Amino acid sequence: MSRITLKVAGESGMGLASVGDILARTLKVMGFYVHMDREYPSLIKGGHSNLQIDFGPKKIHSLSKDIDLVIALDRAGLVEYLNTVKRGGVLVHGYERAHMIKDLEETAHKRGVKLVYLPAREIAYSYGGNELMTNVVLLGLLWRVLGFDLDPLEEEVKRRYGKKPKILEIDLKCLDHAYNTDEIKTPKYDIKVPKSKPDTILLDGNRALALGAIHAGVRAYYAYPMSPSSSILTYMSQYADETGVLVKQVEDEISVAQMAVGSMFMGTRALCATSGGGLDLMTETISLAAMTETPFVVINCQRPGPATGLPTWTSQGDLNMAIHSAHGEFPRCVMAVSDPESSFELIQHALNIAEEYQIPVIVLSEKVICETKTMVEPFEQNKIPIKRGLVTAPKELAELTPQDRFKITKDGISKRWVPGSSPAYFHANSDEHKEDGVLTEDGDEALEMINKRLRKGDTLLKNLPEPKVHGPAKADISFVSWGSSKCTLLDAQEALKEEGITMNFLHYDYLWPVKTKKAKEFFKNNKQVHLIEGNAGGQFGEILEAKAKVEFSDKLLKYNGRPFFLEDVISYVHKHVK
Amino acid sequence: MSCCGKNQRDVIETLEKRKKDYMALESKEKLTWCSGCGNYGIQKAIERALVLEDIKQQDLVMCFDIGCNGNGSDKINTTTFHGLHGRIISAAAGAAIANTKMQVLAEAGDGATFSEGPNHLIHGVRNNYPMTFIFHNNENYGLTTGQASAMTRMGQKMNATPDGVVVKPMNACKFVLSLEPTFVARTFSGDIDHMTEIFRLAMNHKGFAFVEVFQMCPTYNKHTTQTWFEERIIDLSTMKGYDKHNIKHAMEAAEDIEKEIKVGILYEDKKSVPYQELLESRKTKKTELVDEVKHVDITKFINKQK
Repeated sequence: MSRITLKVAGESGMGLASVGDILARTLKVMGFYVHMDREYPSLIKGGHSNLQIDFGPKKIHSLSKDIDLVIALDRAGLVEYLNTVKRGGVLVHGYERAHMIKDLEETAHKRGVKLVYLPAREIAYSYGGNELMTNVVLLGLLWRVLGFDLDPLEEEVKRRYGKKPKILEIDLKCLDHAYNTDEIKTPKYDIKVPKSKPDTILLDGNRALALGAIHAGVRAYYAYPMSPSSSILTYMSQYADETGVLVKQVEDEISVAQMAVGSMFMGTRALCATSGGGLDLMTETISLAAMTETPFVVINCQRPGPATGLPTWTSQGDLNMAIHSAHGEFPRCVMAVSDPESSFELIQHALNIAEEYQIPVIVLSEKVICETKTMVEPFEQNKIPIKRGLVTAPKELAELTPQDRFKITKDGISKRWVPGSSPAYFHANSDEHKEDGVLTEDGDEALEMINKRLRKGDTLLKNLPEPKVHGPAKADISFVSWGSSKCTLLDAQEALKEEGITMNFLHYDYLWPVKTKKAKEFFKNNKQVHLIEGNAGGQFGEILEAKAKVEFSDKLLKYNGRPFFLEDVISYVHKHVK
Repeated sequence: MSCCGKNQRDVIETLEKRKKDYMALESKEKLTWCSGCGNYGIQKAIERALVLEDIKQQDLVMCFDIGCNGNGSDKINTTTFHGLHGRIISAAAGAAIANTKMQVLAEAGDGATFSEGPNHLIHGVRNNYPMTFIFHNNENYGLTTGQASAMTRMGQKMNATPDGVVVKPMNACKFVLSLEPTFVARTFSGDIDHMTEIFRLAMNHKGFAFVEVFQMCPTYNKHTTQTWFEERIIDLSTMKGYDKHNIKHAMEAAEDIEKEIKVGILYEDKKSVPYQELLESRKTKKTELVDEVKHVDITKFINKQK
């Protein structure tokens, strides 16, 4: 068994998240690697949603499409998800009137899916429980089907509800009943429990971004709630009291960006996050940050657009917008995280780049990264130094002049200092300006300053790291990727290896300005290089083809709000490698 | 308008003593405002207020919106931030809470404040960010050659409204007073002494100080001229029984912008607590956000995810 895929399905607001959390944590404590994502509509209650957990003895990076086991918490879960269970799979439910659903048994039989039923509600109520405790009955039933010992699950339930002894007592009775009852016969999986327990943490990408930001000295966080970025605001606010970070929910994204620029200008580290629609509103501020050479970092947690689009689903559709939005011509850096580790690290680099180069930096994430909880090694601290590019030596501060602030330099980078730290004042001017920030409309002076700013982009391009090749230098099939597709490709690489197919991929963390040396080599070394991107235009592919003068064999594009599943890549590879 | 008469000698003496500080703010850059523009007087009053309050060039950040007054952003020798139209309150708020030891002044006109960015004004006031906001109300869009603003009087024939403005003007102070502010004042660009006094009080306020300046625009505003205001202005400090700590008095005083126009401190909440002091996370901090950028140990938070 390489992995088992579970789905908890039901109506939003039915306690899905708690069931998922209990399952994920129990499996983690038992020594499994866990990978968990939630699919849900943009509603607080109602509408069916599901939570998927892939688990196995080895690290899991991505989600599968085909489900082994579904636990349906209600009618919707039963009806909507029966078709997602693969042949030989099991669906556990507690819906008393299932016999009244036409064709249910027949469909299950035809698909080779076993239905396992207990009157969960009746059982929960018989112990004095309520509607939500039917979930606990079903959890017990699922656990029995999985064939695991009850102890670790009981321990986790105790840990969660220990502070509410009355509820805990009922929960434990519900679990025990479902697990041990001889009212029914159930199939049983035979899953080996790992012997060792890896030292890992379980978290989603947004928490990793928040932790990276706090670790890197972000002292002010501004945001306006927007899925799927909102949980960064929640996490930051949870850490605020202990760390002293100022966390502010602001009136709109325009003000969010403006406050971040204001705080950065004053000399602290500020950060903000949003999704595509919010970034639209921030674009004028991105332009302002570029002109005034004020560091600015924004995270765009992508979801499909245009307009409101699919608010709770995933996308890589905002790359062109991240690179090209905002008026005027100026250098910027666009990077993309792919998992919690890279979220934790890249946000630190983003802050460094913004401060050292005095430019806007846009960090792209995706719903599937933002909200997927996965297991990673505990983050290493103090690995990435804080680089602020500020003048701090007292002697140098004393000798600064206003003209130093935007001095025309070879690499385009001028000195920056915290207002108040030096007797030298300066004018941060949204109008075109001279070295001290005083407005100019003189053509030659303007040109000199425009070119100075643009040179920062050249300097940045020189200093950015090249993308990384994952896998052998040469392979049967190759991909170029950015963002979350890395995770799917890593899992696919393993699965394909077992079939005797070699696959490698070139993964970009830094998308703009774009490095091309490694890409050219990669295309030279490999006979078929494909693009994998979560958008319709193959946006990065187009950029790379233009800049590196290469040509993709073909493109694997997906843009229906769903992430790349393992099966998507495998079947694509099968089509291209005979 | 002689509220400051008794202090006038002290003021002049102090300015004399601190001439160096005053001169330090004076820029060699040529001012580009029209002759007779209210901005000259406002800038002079701001400089005086700064010197009188002993706020040094190095301890000051001035933030400017887009418009005629913003064109003075690089014509005063101190660190300035010339932002985008309608957004200066937000940028200045971000700057002010990052380092509350610095004096942060923001300035914007009526287009910025009441058309492009009233959202930011509302929440700036509500959040009581530690800053002074000077609202230049010249009742039109000067820099774009005299279009009507939300403050332009009804019937005025302006660029783009040749038949006259058909909607009523807004009343800035009345609007701000509805937001439970902590400091609201009005002054007039024709009286440098009065402006100086009001700016000084605003700079000393803990929290968001809103100051409306009725500003002359001799080029495009031919209606509410210097004389028009002079004939109508009443200084609140001369009104018996006026209680500036009573918001009901303030609401009443703010009401009339046609016949008897009250200037001075309309409202001041002596118990005002600025934004950052309201936050559990910042209340007891002795340092500023700008002093705190370093690696933060997150071991505890990481362990929670185990």
